[in-house]
Amino acid sequence: MKILIVEDNERVARFVMRGLRESGHTVQHAGDGRDGLFLASSEPHDVIIMDRMLPGNVDGLAIIEALRKSGNRTPILILSALNDVDERIRGLRSGGDDYLTKPFAFGELLARVDALGRRSVEQGAERTLQVGDLRMDLLSRRVTRGARAITLQPREFKLLEYLMRHADQVVTRTMLLEAVWDYNFDPQTNVVDVHISKLRAKLEHDSEQPLVRTVRNAGYMMSAHE
Amino acid sequence: MNRLIRSSALTWALGYLLLGLAALVAFAVPLWYAWNVSIFSGREEILRDDAQRLTEVFAHDGVAGLTAHIKARVAMQIAAERTLLLTDSAYRPLAGNLAAWPRQLPDTAGVHAVMVDDLAGQHTHTLLVRSTLPGGYHLLVGRDLSLFLPLERRFAWGLTAAVTFLFVVGVVGAILMRRELLVQVEGIRQTVAAIMQGDLRHRLPTRGSGDELDTLSRTLNGMLDHIEHLIAGISNVSNSIAHDLRTPLAELRSRLEELTLTRPSPAETFAEIEAAVADVDRVMRIFTALLRLAEIDSGARRSGFVRVDAAAVAAEVVEFYEPAAEQKGVVFSFQTSGEAAVAGDPVLLAQAVSNLIDNSLKSVSERGAISVRVGARADGSVEIAVSDDGPGIPDADKPKAAERFFRGDASRGTPGVGLGLSIVDAVAKLHGGVLHLLDNHPGLIARMVLPAGPLRVPA
Repeated sequence: MKILIVEDNERVARFVMRGLRESGHTVQHAGDGRDGLFLASSEPHDVIIMDRMLPGNVDGLAIIEALRKSGNRTPILILSALNDVDERIRGLRSGGDDYLTKPFAFGELLARVDALGRRSVEQGAERTLQVGDLRMDLLSRRVTRGARAITLQPREFKLLEYLMRHADQVVTRTMLLEAVWDYNFDPQTNVVDVHISKLRAKLEHDSEQPLVRTVRNAGYMMSAHE
Repeated sequence: MNRLIRSSALTWALGYLLLGLAALVAFAVPLWYAWNVSIFSGREEILRDDAQRLTEVFAHDGVAGLTAHIKARVAMQIAAERTLLLTDSAYRPLAGNLAAWPRQLPDTAGVHAVMVDDLAGQHTHTLLVRSTLPGGYHLLVGRDLSLFLPLERRFAWGLTAAVTFLFVVGVVGAILMRRELLVQVEGIRQTVAAIMQGDLRHRLPTRGSGDELDTLSRTLNGMLDHIEHLIAGISNVSNSIAHDLRTPLAELRSRLEELTLTRPSPAETFAEIEAAVADVDRVMRIFTALLRLAEIDSGARRSGFVRVDAAAVAAEVVEFYEPAAEQKGVVFSFQTSGEAAVAGDPVLLAQAVSNLIDNSLKSVSERGAISVRVGARADGSVEIAVSDDGPGIPDADKPKAAERFFRGDASRGTPGVGLGLSIVDAVAKLHGGVLHLLDNHPGLIARMVLPAGPLRVPA
């Protein structure tokens, strides 16, 4: 993917750029709002990562609004040190697609960038999802693995749907909390892990190939490949 | 002097004094005018009538008759009641009570006010009507104006006395009022100055009189109570932050410093770095929790209140924690008596219930029991209770348990930053409710009581 990062802190920018390049992305960097707006509107990108507090008292939200007004629909991830619920809502209202609070783990950023990039590629209303021999019928809400039918609780169904929609991508615990449970606080116990292991037990019987993998320091990934 | 003028009490009192004087003047001037015009011209009329009568006497009885008439009248008259003089054409007196024809009298007929000398040699201010009779005789009929002087003087005295009285009462009253006000304001000023020096324990003096200043003082005292409470909260939090952030930061620092000093093998180094990242994450978690607390305490979230079914919110959180409880072998039960509507923030309520369950889950042993109950009480308030059979909180610690960063001895070894119950307490307060911590014999009952929601809040 081609990614533009607008971030004035050199250290953070370098750290993010190196990480994204190692994950196989092409990265452009703008150190201030003016360059950022110029690069974003002159070249197509798959995802834009936008810092909120830019040099010269420029709010990244203003740039996002300018881009959206000019018809630019590139998915934007907002980076911010402001972790207020209101700030989050403001960010998403101004045209941002996701909001990540500083400081962040790189795994979290990468997972969210991947999710945003994927969203811009496939925006269809599928009727079925498939990962390997696992099939999910979204209309009849039936889940099968090969010939075996799997019974899921409503919440487990939602969790699995999210994992399958983001197959071959890392999803973090925070992303799962936000998307599946709509909670934006941090439960101190590893509750999400327990939900995943319960789901795993239903999906992966003894001889079957594992589908949900734990990614160290980041989260989980559903994949049919080793 | 400048300060005197700037004193508002004095300004007001002096203003009223001036107003009083103006009212007095407004009363005296028309009176004076009416006196002058009506009495003066009325008198003039009487004199003209008198002169006319004497002229008729002259026409009837001739100069001898008039002379006799005037003499008779002068003899009968009380002194100075009437001034009469009849002269011949050369202004030689024939009869009357004037010694001679007044020199200052103008040479025209009509009414004149002049100074004349009467027979007794008295110099008096007299109003005279001059008329010329056939045969060149001159007649003066007049009245002594000084007759009304005592009345006028009394009026002037009365006026002066009134002005003086008003002035003295006004000035003395103003000074007394100012002194009284200054005493009270000075009391307030001294207290406020002491408070500005940093001692928030001072309170404004109140006298229980219930007047305006007393009411103001009591309101300000209420405000000071609130500020003192907030400041105490802030300093408490700052101290706690200093302590609880220092601990992980100190750990982090020693970990990194040890790395640079000992330079262990790469494998060991990376393990240490990962531990350091975990330390930073811990600091960040404390920060996030503190910011969340500050956000709740500010009350800003109240604007986003909607009608929430507390039972449904709790049910979702219970479902969320069920697998974790199952894994630990804990008996986890949930009871509700149907919808329990409150006006609130669903996310914050979920977080509060989540924190309570999280605490219980950490404290109970394997195969323990946790139960969550949500129900509407008789008065319409909603009760959310999370109880467990863990070690509970000793009675001595219960009042402190919801304080920021408080960690009971029992929880020292468990993960957490000591802000969970603080957040629950803050959420309960934000919703106008309370958090009670009770003994479950054994274990803990954490009971949040939220007031009945105003049902006009949009669903």
